[in-house]
Amino acid sequence: MESTEFDAALGGTENLPHSANSLKFAASRSIEIAAMTESILHPNKTKLIFQKLPVHMRRRVMSHNCKRLPRRLREAHLKQLKKSGLPPKQKRPSRKYRRRATNLLDEYNRRQRRHVWLETHIWHAKRFHMIERWGHRIAYRPCDKAFRACYRASSAHCLIQDISYYTPIQIKGSIETIRDLFSNLTSSHCGLGVCAKAYLNGSRKGTIHLYMPASYPIGFIGRVEFIWVANNSDKELWLFIHPSHSKQVESVLTDIVNNAISNVHNKENEENTIAKRRKISTKYSDVRIKVMSGMYNRFRLTGPKSHAVLTQTLKCVKDMNTFKTNTWLKHINEEKTQLHLQEKSDYWDSVSSINSPSQLPPGAIVGLVVKDPRLSRPKQRTKAHNKCIAKNIDSLLSIPLNVSSSPIWNKSVCDIIKENKITNAKYIDHITKTQLVPGEVTEDDPFLQTIPIVLIQRSGSQECSYKKIGYGSGWDIIIPSGYGLPFWLTFIMFRARSGGLRETESLAFEMGDCYMPPDSQAGLVEEKRIEIELKEKYFKRPPSKRVNYIKLAVPSPFICPWNVLLKEWGNVDQEKFFVLRDRVILQELQNCMEQKRTLPELVNSHHCLVPVYIQIIGKGNLKKHAMICIADKSDICLNSLLEPLHEDFNFKLRKQKRTEHKSYLKQMRRKRIKLRKKKIQKEANQPKPQRKNKHEPSDYVKAMRELWLPSNIDAVRNVGSKEVMGYLSQGAFSFSEAKSCGVGYVAFKALAKLLQNGVNKVLVRNTTSRKYRVANIQIIK
Amino acid sequence: MGDENNVKKKQDQRNPKRLPNKKYAIKKRLPLRPIEGDNVIFVTKKTNFKAQLEKCCDLLSKGEKEIILHGLGAAIQRCCNLALQLELLFSGTCQIEVNTGTVDIIDDLEPLTDDVDFGTQVRHSSSIHIRVFRNAMLGANK
Repeated sequence: MESTEFDAALGGTENLPHSANSLKFAASRSIEIAAMTESILHPNKTKLIFQKLPVHMRRRVMSHNCKRLPRRLREAHLKQLKKSGLPPKQKRPSRKYRRRATNLLDEYNRRQRRHVWLETHIWHAKRFHMIERWGHRIAYRPCDKAFRACYRASSAHCLIQDISYYTPIQIKGSIETIRDLFSNLTSSHCGLGVCAKAYLNGSRKGTIHLYMPASYPIGFIGRVEFIWVANNSDKELWLFIHPSHSKQVESVLTDIVNNAISNVHNKENEENTIAKRRKISTKYSDVRIKVMSGMYNRFRLTGPKSHAVLTQTLKCVKDMNTFKTNTWLKHINEEKTQLHLQEKSDYWDSVSSINSPSQLPPGAIVGLVVKDPRLSRPKQRTKAHNKCIAKNIDSLLSIPLNVSSSPIWNKSVCDIIKENKITNAKYIDHITKTQLVPGEVTEDDPFLQTIPIVLIQRSGSQECSYKKIGYGSGWDIIIPSGYGLPFWLTFIMFRARSGGLRETESLAFEMGDCYMPPDSQAGLVEEKRIEIELKEKYFKRPPSKRVNYIKLAVPSPFICPWNVLLKEWGNVDQEKFFVLRDRVILQELQNCMEQKRTLPELVNSHHCLVPVYIQIIGKGNLKKHAMICIADKSDICLNSLLEPLHEDFNFKLRKQKRTEHKSYLKQMRRKRIKLRKKKIQKEANQPKPQRKNKHEPSDYVKAMRELWLPSNIDAVRNVGSKEVMGYLSQGAFSFSEAKSCGVGYVAFKALAKLLQNGVNKVLVRNTTSRKYRVANIQIIK
Repeated sequence: MGDENNVKKKQDQRNPKRLPNKKYAIKKRLPLRPIEGDNVIFVTKKTNFKAQLEKCCDLLSKGEKEIILHGLGAAIQRCCNLALQLELLFSGTCQIEVNTGTVDIIDDLEPLTDDVDFGTQVRHSSSIHIRVFRNAMLGANK
């Protein structure tokens, strides 16, 4: 008999097998293993309900005010609170009292007096940090921490921004005169002109670089977007101008037109030859310039999913007959304008299934007439998706002839639409009255207005060597005023992520564009603003926590001194400078950089800045105002290049000044006490001498600041151990490149010297550091 | 496979046929995409090979029944590489199925002078579509 007992105490008769099958062993315990792994992966944490919410759904005082929670969680939340004792109830004035309609409206109107509000202002003001810029109150950044989310939206989903602050300007006149008008303001070297054949038929938008009259290349105003509109066989030019330079463009244009007219009068007096008069009076007299600010809303949708969001939102009107009662359609019929509704709707259907707007012709303009956007709004926020796939590419090759026309450019149409606008209250009233089945909406309801809109495609990156293809592509949508918010909310319900001005800046940076170039008035103002902001921040710190820029050999850490830089590189004394925008030369420079050839000669090279894109190699993070320095061949292999510490000659001066000031203060204090005693005796009633401006720093503070940061800089090039070529105007970690990148400008002469050394890499040093980093350099075209 | 990332990009030799004349600049558009989804992966020349391999492994081991890899043009080789690596890693529990095809790609001809209009040209590029699917599930949970 074999030994069967395995436990003598129990006395069982269990047989022990000689071997154990591990697979079988594990399989019979699979449920327990699964349970264990599950509990390891998702341990039962004791968290309050509002702590479990995802970050974007958290609100500030959730634990105190249960109404900040989503409704479905409130009950559980209250139960949890009961355990720990309910918080004392705070009494608040009733909502009815707080926002009585009349007061609210008055208040809003009062606040709008100084800075113009956009139509979506109140929506934004609840969710965004608002700033005052360019005469508008603009959303700067969302209150939730959404920096990376906004980048993701722009690269993979849909980012939406309200850019209604762009000023539209309508220019009427014959094509010849307009060409003549703009020939003074633009240069053919920078790209296509206003009257290029590609744009004249009005199916694509174009951009031009505007300069002060007859001063190219100096006197840059800004980049301006334009489209041609065919209105009843007349051609009109519409400019869309950024508010930072809209006033300047306006004054330049009107000046030219008015001067031409006044010239006519002068010359008429001088010589009364009829032929001459006819010749001159035809010059700009038929040009009409109208500024149409506030007439349109303009939203910018960026990202591949922006097309899906649009196709879900916009339901085209195919037949005019059902909406005959619309006032603006009646008006159009009187004017006998063709609308081409069927054609437009067919085109929109044929392109509705693409995945990204960058698959469409670049700069395409599509004018549609759509139904009220409130009808297509989903009940819950849902992500927009395009279901089917396009198989034929024929519809993507070209834009049909009549698709780009739109009645929106007719001012009277816009006015009628705004007048007959159906407010939310009216809309709800109507729907509840006429609706038989709740939730079902008849789309072809003639009560609701149809709305003409215009879509403008932005192609994003089209060069794979610079940025990934299609990055930054999207649509701009132009909506008549009054209908901004209904459209906006529908886009939001289709999961477009809203962004503000910060996103515009970061998008320009990720795209590698020059945002607010320094040779324009707008760029100058922006630079000054940033300098003041940074300086204030710097001097708020206690002296022991301030970076000593003198020791680091950084003469101007908060502003890029372009003038000084160019003066030193060019050895000429002139205030003016410009950024190179000549396409051909820029391309040649890029080729030279790649092949390490010496640069060609340039006419105005003393005043010339070249826009460059910097990508760091290896470690390091670039910041704004970092210095771009010339590298030698030996520097590039070297990994640890440090700027030696410089001596701060102002240190003793500051110390001396401080002790003097202290003793002075003490003296004054003594005097004051004495005076006060006297006053009590005399009961003198003379008023205390008040300081004029409290915000104005005293002379002592000013002098000390001057000793910290000398304001008049006369040398930047050779202050450090490496020669300074230029500066970064924007620098940060770029998500699209997965590297630290920067956009900056370098002096042309410096670039020539760099290539003479036979190097096409540069050294970059941040303002707060002594370390030089090696970086790649590319020309921005 | 990792060394592919380090291989220096060759300057693409300009095919003279692709530049019709000096009046145009060629700009590329995004090619049309097949159905997108969580389990659809587009292999490009720029994406890190290792990262994409890990992503595929993650998807497969988290219970995805099949993943679809798409490669276009020069990325075909990388796409095949990825699929074969996956097959190796999930030895025996994973199979692949390959399809090839051609994709029409649109290039834009952007005018450089005022007197010409926009144009387009259509190129054809070969593409590969690989379906990687599990034939046996591992792991007790999910």
